[in-house]
Amino acid sequence: MSLRPIHKQLGTSLVAGIAVLSLAACTSNASDSDSDSESSGGTSQAEEGSNDEAGDTVVIGFSAPAADHGWMGSITESTRQAAEAYDDIDLRVAEGTNEVSLQIAQVETFINDGVDAIVLLPFDGAAMTPVALKAMEAGIPVVNVDREFDDPNAARVTVLGDNYGMGVSAGAYICEQAGGNEDAVVAEIAGIDSLPLTQDRSQGFEDALKECGLDVDNRVAADFTVEGGEKAASNLLQAAPQIDYLWNHDDDQGVGVLAAIESAGRDEFIMIGGAGSANAMRAIQEDNSVLKATVIYPSTQGADGVKLARLLVQGKSMSDLVEIEVPRTVQLYAPVVTSENVDQFIDTAFES
Amino acid sequence: MTTHESLLRMSGIVKEFPGVKALGGVDLDVRAGEVHCLLGQNGAGKSTLIKILSASYQPDAGVIHWDGVETSLPTPISAIKVGISTIYQELDLVPGLTVAENVFLGHEQSVAGFSQRSQSNQMVRDLMTRLGHSEISPTRLVGSLSPAGQQIVSMARALSHDTRLLILDEPSAVLDHEEVDNLFRVIRGLTAEGVAVVYISHRLEEIRQIGDRITVLKDGITVATGLEVADTSTATLIQLMTGRSIEYVFPPRPEVAPERGPVVLEAKGLSLAGVFETMDLTVHAGEIVGLTGLVGAGRSEILETVYGARRATTGTVTVDGTRIRKGSVPAAVRAGIGLAPEERKSQGLLLDQAVYRNVTISSLGRFARGGFLDSAAERRRAEELTTSLDVRPTGVTRAVRTLSGGNQQKVVLARWLLRDCRVLLLDEPTRGVDVGARSEIYQLIRSLADAGVAVVVVSSEVEEVLGLSDRVVVVREGAVVHEAPATDLDEARVLDLVMEGRVA
Amino acid sequence: MSKDTHVDVPHNTVGATGESGRVEAEGARAGESSGGAMAVLRTSAGRNLGLVVALVVICVVGTVTAGERFADVDNVLTILKLASVIGVVSIGMTFVITGGGIDLSVGAIVALSSVWCTTLATQTMAEDTHWIVMVLAALAVGAGCGLVNGVLIAYGNIVSFIATLAMLASARGLAELMSDRKTQIVRIESFKDFFGAEVLGIPVLVIIFAVVAAAGWVLLNRTTFGRRTLAVGGNPEAARLAGINVKQHTVMLYVLVGVCCGIAAIMLISRTTTGSSTHGNLYELDAIAAVVIGGTLLSGGRGTIVGTVFGVLIFTTLGNVFTLNNQDTSTQAVAKGLIIVVAVLLQQRLASRSNTA
Repeated sequence: MSLRPIHKQLGTSLVAGIAVLSLAACTSNASDSDSDSESSGGTSQAEEGSNDEAGDTVVIGFSAPAADHGWMGSITESTRQAAEAYDDIDLRVAEGTNEVSLQIAQVETFINDGVDAIVLLPFDGAAMTPVALKAMEAGIPVVNVDREFDDPNAARVTVLGDNYGMGVSAGAYICEQAGGNEDAVVAEIAGIDSLPLTQDRSQGFEDALKECGLDVDNRVAADFTVEGGEKAASNLLQAAPQIDYLWNHDDDQGVGVLAAIESAGRDEFIMIGGAGSANAMRAIQEDNSVLKATVIYPSTQGADGVKLARLLVQGKSMSDLVEIEVPRTVQLYAPVVTSENVDQFIDTAFES
Repeated sequence: MTTHESLLRMSGIVKEFPGVKALGGVDLDVRAGEVHCLLGQNGAGKSTLIKILSASYQPDAGVIHWDGVETSLPTPISAIKVGISTIYQELDLVPGLTVAENVFLGHEQSVAGFSQRSQSNQMVRDLMTRLGHSEISPTRLVGSLSPAGQQIVSMARALSHDTRLLILDEPSAVLDHEEVDNLFRVIRGLTAEGVAVVYISHRLEEIRQIGDRITVLKDGITVATGLEVADTSTATLIQLMTGRSIEYVFPPRPEVAPERGPVVLEAKGLSLAGVFETMDLTVHAGEIVGLTGLVGAGRSEILETVYGARRATTGTVTVDGTRIRKGSVPAAVRAGIGLAPEERKSQGLLLDQAVYRNVTISSLGRFARGGFLDSAAERRRAEELTTSLDVRPTGVTRAVRTLSGGNQQKVVLARWLLRDCRVLLLDEPTRGVDVGARSEIYQLIRSLADAGVAVVVVSSEVEEVLGLSDRVVVVREGAVVHEAPATDLDEARVLDLVMEGRVA
Repeated sequence: MSKDTHVDVPHNTVGATGESGRVEAEGARAGESSGGAMAVLRTSAGRNLGLVVALVVICVVGTVTAGERFADVDNVLTILKLASVIGVVSIGMTFVITGGGIDLSVGAIVALSSVWCTTLATQTMAEDTHWIVMVLAALAVGAGCGLVNGVLIAYGNIVSFIATLAMLASARGLAELMSDRKTQIVRIESFKDFFGAEVLGIPVLVIIFAVVAAAGWVLLNRTTFGRRTLAVGGNPEAARLAGINVKQHTVMLYVLVGVCCGIAAIMLISRTTTGSSTHGNLYELDAIAAVVIGGTLLSGGRGTIVGTVFGVLIFTTLGNVFTLNNQDTSTQAVAKGLIIVVAVLLQQRLASRSNTA
């Protein structure tokens, strides 16, 4: 179903993205902050000749799954904000849905309305492929966000987070912290195990740990909810009486994980989060719990999708690239946030 | 007798069920083109006979000749194949399907699995025309038709099978007068085509109107067959139907006429829309009032309305002068009324629960303190009561399901004994109760009355009503037609009243 | 339990006092009155033999494979703590199912209660007064939802499956609207301290579960309410004609399960330190599974609290043993399915044997 390569070389994720956008070029240990945030440029202040200069109005249709957790809510929210920053974007947001048939109908409506571009975060990438192809055939460029289609021809541009890279970042961070101690006990609380994104994260984690001779000693899966996280963590803590490092895939369920840890009175380990919620970042900032770091899975992908769709329709290229056309694939980086660099990220973090 | 050939001849039909001989030798002879009436009291064996004809049951002995040839009917389909169709009282139609779909249910007109709608619709239209009801559209939903219309659909279904013998089980029970006339027209049309009809009804006047010949069953035996309607008097028929065979022992009535006791139960102007008309009912302490009439005459409904299980349209019920809130069973129970319902198993008992729980279910408050039950006391009390009623087998923690019908009835009675009821409403108290236990139950009812309880007994069995009650109320089609002391009535008179609403 | 009294009652009042005393064990097969707790345990164990066997097998597997990590006091308490929330819901579910109904909305009611009692407004009020405000809010929301369910079913004549399905959708939706799908974190430390505490080494949540289970057992087996529940579930028409106010009783059953959901919501908030519209996900299925493998008849008329407690413990222990052995959730799901079938089959065999005996 996925075209994502399973076995990437460790480190390729650092250059995996053909481009790095708003959350660019920040590594866990060396944060050379990027120039400034492009998204703040409104068309009025745009420099002559820059990409932000107003062009023909672009009608963009946007559809995403139901905002049933913080990260997904933030996707839609940041997408709206990105569109509002441009006078020449007319964004049409379809009601978020977890029903494939309804989402297909939404895209069909966009096609019938003759929008200029469609930004689509499918509930199920495979199921949305045919209708995306239909849009492409109708001459409407489709920007595929986060969950990939089956067929590369179904999207003009694909904006991806880096699930594998998240695992790699988390693993690499642990390796660094462990400092060569190959006996360190590592535990992992995954999200919904049946999802490819969970499998990718775990694979990256495992691969990265292998580099420094570590492996995952205890692994449980939760369900991205607070309750699920609490339950999984309670059992996990019993399974592993002594832990050195714990990676939790998702900061939403992390609230429950932290509750379980506190209730069990455990503090002998370092916990790393995932996704990068504002809650988690505040905890990192305060530095009074086991949560010392989190790996970001950007919730600004939809926003980037909209900006790219605008460039596509207006015939512009990505400014910092020599290439004239907008690239086919953009993969976002998964940086590690710690107390040292949390201030940079906390503003773009999502509230869970 | 005429020279007609018999279409169907049954002789010496015997059917036994465990413990009961339902048919003990029945003869029936039906000719093509006639309306043959089957008469008999409840339990005379009519239903069993019909079920044998439609091959739902297999006879244990006896011979069936069909069209002059000895025939066996092993399955219901074989009966339909030779041309026997039955229309039961409870119509077996699917309300959510159309008329045409119902007519061809089970033998759909189809080609390679695809139903031939237009073809079957046309066939139904032809059948409806033949039945003189062309106004019933094949595409109409059966659920939207009146009972009369549904009956026509049932007949159309029967005729769709090339029926030569049509059995109608009390077809007029659900119809009003005009509809009955329509039905008769349809029947005459069919007999004119040579179809034979076996017609079952309690209403003697209908039999006079439509019938050609009569067979009378009593206690599973043919007491008369092939009587010409024109030559037989109503008195003869009643005589044939009631000639006594089983004697029950009824307890003696008290010497003091009980009407003189104080009034306990009084229903005034009670009615239930569409079921029974305004009626008054007064029962004195120590009195047993028998309420009789045909099934569907409104007897059970009257009891249930008095009890509050149905909400009376008009009227009031008082017990010992205190008016009871309308439509509330708990209020009636608190006022001292008890009901032993007609369907003991589905309405009266918690079959899977222990005897003692069935006994105490209406008196839980007595065994509770602050809502907490004292089960030991419950069992003790239930034990006393069931012992005094001689419920067998003994043991109050046994599930009620394991008891026989008579003992189950005693459990229901024990429930109300426990409450010291003022009024006891008994609906068919001896249905499904064997002969021996019947006398015990009669005895029990009488002793309750002697203790001052006002008792109302509903029964279809005339001799039971006459033998047990002090006073008899006859209802017919939702109205009281007669009321008299039991000693002033005899069985023939009651049957007359029940069937014709007047004394012949 | 006494209801309206506006009719003069010369003879007996439902709910009048009687003598109290000890009574027999659940289901009352033994004819004689029993001698307290031991007898209760004995008869319960007999009736629930299939469940006991299943639980023992899981425990043996746990001890063999995970050794001290399983047999550890801490781990046992963890299992009990995890069982406590769904356990309380399952106790309520036992009553509804015994009474001939079903409640598909339990998870959604837990979510709504948890959200309602952790809103900024409720928490502010609790801060100004006492954390008990949050508890009362959760209980009131649960009872309110149950009341709506009960009235729709009893007086609106809507099938319980449909009425509670509607509640499932709308309560969860309302929870999402109220919380804006955000996780609401509890700031009231006194609340967290109270429910997070331990008494004599036993977590408060486990104590709550024990109390609810015991109260449920007494209510079902020792009170008029319980007896009426069995009657209403076993044969509603017979119950009605015996003088029980079936509609009113049905409403009370759904309010009862609603209150249980409110209690569960409080417990869940304490466990996760949050209220969320995602709380209680699929509780309806977990609760029904626990109740049914416990031996309560899905068609009503027979119910067992002890069985339900076993059912909950079996599922929770199973999950624990799998995690201790680092097994994935898919294997666990297969085992869960097998356990349901095996426990029910075993239960049927043993039940039919004891019936014929």
